Amino acid sequence: MSVRRRGGGWSLTGWIFLVFLLLYAALPMVWMLITSVQSQFAAIQYPPEFIPSNPTLEQYARLLSPSSEIGGQFLRYMWNSIYVSTLTTIFGVGVAVPAAYAFSRFRFPGRNALFFSVLFRNMFPAVVFLMPLFIMMRWFGLVNTHASLVITYLTFGLPLSIWLLKGFYDNIPVELEQAARIDGCTRFQAFWMIVMPLSTPGIIATAIFSFITAWNEYVYALTFLNSDEKLTLPVGLQRFFTEYATNWPGLMAASFIMSVPVVVMFLVLQKYFVRALTEGAVKA
Amino acid sequence: MAQVELRDVVKDYGSFLAVKSVSFTVKDGEFVALVGPSGCGKTTTLNLIAGLLDTTSGEIRIGDRKVDDLDPKDRDIAMVFQNYALYPNKTVHQNLGFPLKMRKLPRKEIDEKVRAAAGLLDITHLLERRPRELSGGQQQRVALGRALVRDPQVFLMDEPLSNLDAKLRVQMRAELKRFHQDLNATVIYVTHDQLEAMTMADRIAVMEGGILQQFDTPERVFEEPNNLFVAGFVGSPAMNLVEASLNRDADAFVVESDGWSLPLDAVNSRRAAQATGPDIVLGARHSTMALHHEPAAGRVEGRVYTVEPTGDLTYAHVYLGKSIVVVSADPQTRIKPDETVWISFDQSRLHLFDARTKQRLLPE
Repeated sequence: MSVRRRGGGWSLTGWIFLVFLLLYAALPMVWMLITSVQSQFAAIQYPPEFIPSNPTLEQYARLLSPSSEIGGQFLRYMWNSIYVSTLTTIFGVGVAVPAAYAFSRFRFPGRNALFFSVLFRNMFPAVVFLMPLFIMMRWFGLVNTHASLVITYLTFGLPLSIWLLKGFYDNIPVELEQAARIDGCTRFQAFWMIVMPLSTPGIIATAIFSFITAWNEYVYALTFLNSDEKLTLPVGLQRFFTEYATNWPGLMAASFIMSVPVVVMFLVLQKYFVRALTEGAVKA
Repeated sequence: MAQVELRDVVKDYGSFLAVKSVSFTVKDGEFVALVGPSGCGKTTTLNLIAGLLDTTSGEIRIGDRKVDDLDPKDRDIAMVFQNYALYPNKTVHQNLGFPLKMRKLPRKEIDEKVRAAAGLLDITHLLERRPRELSGGQQQRVALGRALVRDPQVFLMDEPLSNLDAKLRVQMRAELKRFHQDLNATVIYVTHDQLEAMTMADRIAVMEGGILQQFDTPERVFEEPNNLFVAGFVGSPAMNLVEASLNRDADAFVVESDGWSLPLDAVNSRRAAQATGPDIVLGARHSTMALHHEPAAGRVEGRVYTVEPTGDLTYAHVYLGKSIVVVSADPQTRIKPDETVWISFDQSRLHLFDARTKQRLLPE
C-alpha cells in the first residue's frame, strides 16, 4: 500500500461533500432511533427533544414480546417477511446462476433476443403490472398467498440478477474451465469446483439484492394480501399503527427493527456488493 | 507418450468452415508446431485434439485409441494456455496438484509429484503463493508444471509464450525446447510466430484458411515452400515475391516484368515448362540475391529505395520495375538511396509459382 497525500483543496471539498452525504443518509435514521426511545408525549412535543431526557426501551420490549397482542402481531409480520424474502432469494439465485452462466458461456440461437427480452421488463415501472398480475394471480388462485409475492418478486428481481451475474461470469476466463476439463473435471465439475468459488462475490451480491428488494416491497404486498395472518412487515407496519391511532415511538421502533437485518447484512457483505457493481469496470 | 493422428478432420460452425479436412500425424516424441496467421484454424485444430470442441467429421487418434467421442479429461492430454489459466483461488501447490487430485491419487503421492515437478521447473520456493503474486515468467512455469505432473500422452500448447516480454520469451523458448528433448514428449504447439515454429519444432504444420498448407521440417518449409502462402509466411524478412510473365526463348525461358527480364537456367526452365499459363510469381529470399555496382549477364537493374543497417546485415530495399525487393548485403557495402544497382540471383534457390494455382512449380 502506498500512502499519498492528496491535494488540500480537493480534500476539503471532498470532506464537506461526504459529510453532507452522510448527514443526508444518516439523519432520518438517527431521528427514527431518537423518537423510538421517547415516550409518546415527548415524541410530539414542540420544540422537539433532540436528546431524549427519559429514554425508554418500552416500545422495543412491547414489540418483541411474543406474549403481548402487538408483539405477537409484529413478530408474525416479521416472520412473513423473512419467509417471503428468503424464498425469493433462494429461488432467485437458484435460477439466476445457471441462466447467467448460460448467457455468458453458450452460443445458442436466439441468445441475444432472449437476453434482451429478459431486460425488456425493466423498461416499465413496476406499478404498470399491478393489475395484470393481480388478475393472473386470481386465475391461478394465488391471491392472498405468499407464493404470489415470491413469484412477483422473482419476475422483477431475476432480470437484474441475471444481468449482474452474467457480468461476473463474463470476467472469468473460459480457459479456466477448459483447463479444469483437461485436468480431469466433467463440464459440471469445472463449473462447480472452479467457476462457482470465483463467482461467490457475485452470488452474494445477487442474494443481497434479491433479499432487500423483497424485504422492502410494499405495493404488491398491499394488493395481493388481505388477511392479517399473511401480511409482510411494510404493509403490516402501516396497518398496524393507523388502527391504534398514531403511536410514533412505536412506529419508529418497529421501523428500526425492520431495517436492522438489511443494514447488518449490508455492512457485513458490502465489499462483495461494491465489487459486483464495479466488476468489469476495472481490469484485475 | 504417444503419436497423434488426424484424419480428414473438419470443423464446421455452420456459418463458416474453420477447419477443412485436415490430416496429419504427429509421431511419438515429436515436437510439431501449428503455425499460421490469426483465424487460420490452428487453435481450433488444437481444441479439437483436446476435445474442447467436437469435430464435425473425421477422426482423431491418440496412441491406438480413437478419441473423438471422449471427454477432454479422458484423452490423457495436458494443455498449456496462452493466459496460463491458473486457478486464481488456489496456491501454486494446489494448482499443480489439481489434475492429480481429480484422478484421486493419495495425498502423499500428489505431494511427491508436485514437488518433483516444481523442482524440475525451479519453482519450489513459490509453492505456497497464489498465481496473482507471481511474475509472468513464474506463472508460465506453473502452467507448464501443471501439465508436467500428469505425465500425459501428449502436451498441447496454445501460444504459451506470447504473453511474455521479448527477452523472457527467448529464454523460455530455449527452456521449452530443452524440456521437450529431456522428456522425449509429444508436443503440439500452436503459434502465430513463424520464428518460434522454426526454432523449436521438429516439423511445422502451416495452416491458412482452415487448410493445412504444408507439413514438413522447418528446413524444407523454408527452402521448398509448397505454395505462395507458405513462401510469404515463413522467414523474416519475408521472401520477395514478384509478379512476372514467362517468355520462351529457344529451349530456355525468360522471366519478364515491367522493364526488366531474367533468363532462367536449365533447371528453372524445366520448372517453368510446368506452368499452366504465362503468369507466374518469382520468389527469392533476400539472402539468395546479391547487389552489384556494375551490370553483367544475368543481373537485373534496380534503383535503391532505402537502406536498413541492422548490424549483422544491411537490408537494401530496391525497386525492381514497380515492385520493391529486399536484398541483404554485407554491412561494409556502400549503397545510397536512389543509386542504380544490379541484382544477381542464385538460380538454384530461386522459386517459381504459378500465378493461377498459387503452387510452386516443380521440375517434371
